[in-house]
Amino acid sequence: MGELEQAVLETLWDLDGTDAERPGASGRAVHDRLQGRDGRDLAYTTVMTVLDRLARKDVVVRERDGRAFRYAPRLTRAAMTAEVMHEALEGTRDDREQALVSFVGEASAEDLAALRRALDDLA
Amino acid sequence: MPTPVVLGVLAVLLAGPLPWVLSRWIGLRRTPAAAMLLWQSAALAAVLAALGAGLSLVTAHLWQAPVGPADVVVAGLAGAVTVVVLARLLLSGHRTGTSLRRMRRLHRERVDLVARVDGGVSVLDHDVPVAYCVPGMSRSRIVVSRSTLTRLAPAELVAVLEHERSHLRSRHDLVLEAFTVLHLAFPRWVASASARREVEVLVEVLADRAACRTGGRRDLVSALVTLAGSPAPAGSLGSAGSSLAARVEVLRDTRTHPWQSAAVSVLAAAILALPTLLVVLPWLDRLV
Repeated sequence: MGELEQAVLETLWDLDGTDAERPGASGRAVHDRLQGRDGRDLAYTTVMTVLDRLARKDVVVRERDGRAFRYAPRLTRAAMTAEVMHEALEGTRDDREQALVSFVGEASAEDLAALRRALDDLA
Repeated sequence: MPTPVVLGVLAVLLAGPLPWVLSRWIGLRRTPAAAMLLWQSAALAAVLAALGAGLSLVTAHLWQAPVGPADVVVAGLAGAVTVVVLARLLLSGHRTGTSLRRMRRLHRERVDLVARVDGGVSVLDHDVPVAYCVPGMSRSRIVVSRSTLTRLAPAELVAVLEHERSHLRSRHDLVLEAFTVLHLAFPRWVASASARREVEVLVEVLADRAACRTGGRRDLVSALVTLAGSPAPAGSLGSAGSSLAARVEVLRDTRTHPWQSAAVSVLAAAILALPTLLVVLPWLDRLV
C-alpha cells in the first residue's frame, strides 16, 4: 500500500500545474496516468481510496469540484522532503524523547578535534 | 534488620548513589555490553526493591496477629506509596510508548512518501547529510540523505549503515525507551537523568563496535568526522557530557577487557538477585 501511495502522490506532483487555472488533478486523471504504467492494472476505486487516505494524512488537499473532488499535494516534493529533514534533525536531539536514533548528533569543536586526532592515529 | 528496611535502603542506594558512581566510572564504557547489563539490572533492581519494600511493610503489619490500629495505618501508608510508585511507572510507560510510536509512525509514513529506496535504505533528496534510523517492530527504516551518499566513501557508508542496522537489530530503542520511562516517572530524587544519558552513550558505543566488526575502524571514524562536521542547528552545541567524545575514546581503545567484562556481569547479576531474594525469601519461608 505504501508503494501505491507514493506512486499516486508522485503522479499528483507531475499533474499539479499542468492546468494553470486550477491546482491539483481529479481522481480520474490520476487513475488514467497510473493505469497501465509498469504493467499495473489498477481499479479506479483503489486510486480513490489511496487519495482519500493521503488526504486524511494531510499530505493531499481535497477540494470539491462540481460533483467530484480535485486533489492537490499540500507541499511540493522539495518542501515535503525539507519537512521530513527538519523532523529528523529535531527528533534526534537528545534533550527530548528520542523517536529517531541518529548516527551522530551535534558536535562541538572539541569533539571534532578529538575525532580528527583519532583519525590521524588510525592512519 | 527487618526486610522492609533492608529493601528500602537498597532501593535508595540503587536509585541514587549507584547511578551516580556508575556514571562517573568512565572505564566502564570499555566493556559496553556488560555495562549495559549492569545499568539495566540496577534500574530493574531499584524498582523491585522499592515495590518490595512497600509490599513487605504491608504484609509485615497485617499478617501477624494481633493487628492494631497503628499497624493498619502503617500498612495503609506503605500500600499507598507502593501503588503511587507503580502507577507512575505504568502511566509514564504508557505515555512514552504511545507518543514514541505515534511520532515514529508519522515520520515513517512521510519518509516512505518522499524517499527513494535504494538497497533497503531510504534516501532523501537533500543537501544536508543525515543518517538515522526509525525503530519499529517490523517497519523500521534506515534513512540517509543524498548528500550523505555523495560525501561518504563506499566503505564509510557501509560502516554507517552497519551502525544503524545494529541499533535496529539489537532493539536499542527499547532500552532507551525503558530508561526514558524511568526518567519521566521519577525525574527527581532518582539519578534517572544520568542513567538515561549514560545508556544513550552505551547504545552508540555498542553500535560503533558492531560497525567495526564488519568494516574498518578507520572508515567509521572518518564517517563520523564527515557527518559530525556538518552544520548542526544552533543551540545545544557542546552540551554537557558529549556522547561523541565518549564514543571516540572507546573507539581508540583496541584492547579487550575480559576480566572487567566478567566482573561487571557478575556484579549486574548480584545486584538484580539481591532484591529478588529479599522479596521472595519471606514468602518461601511462609510456604514451607
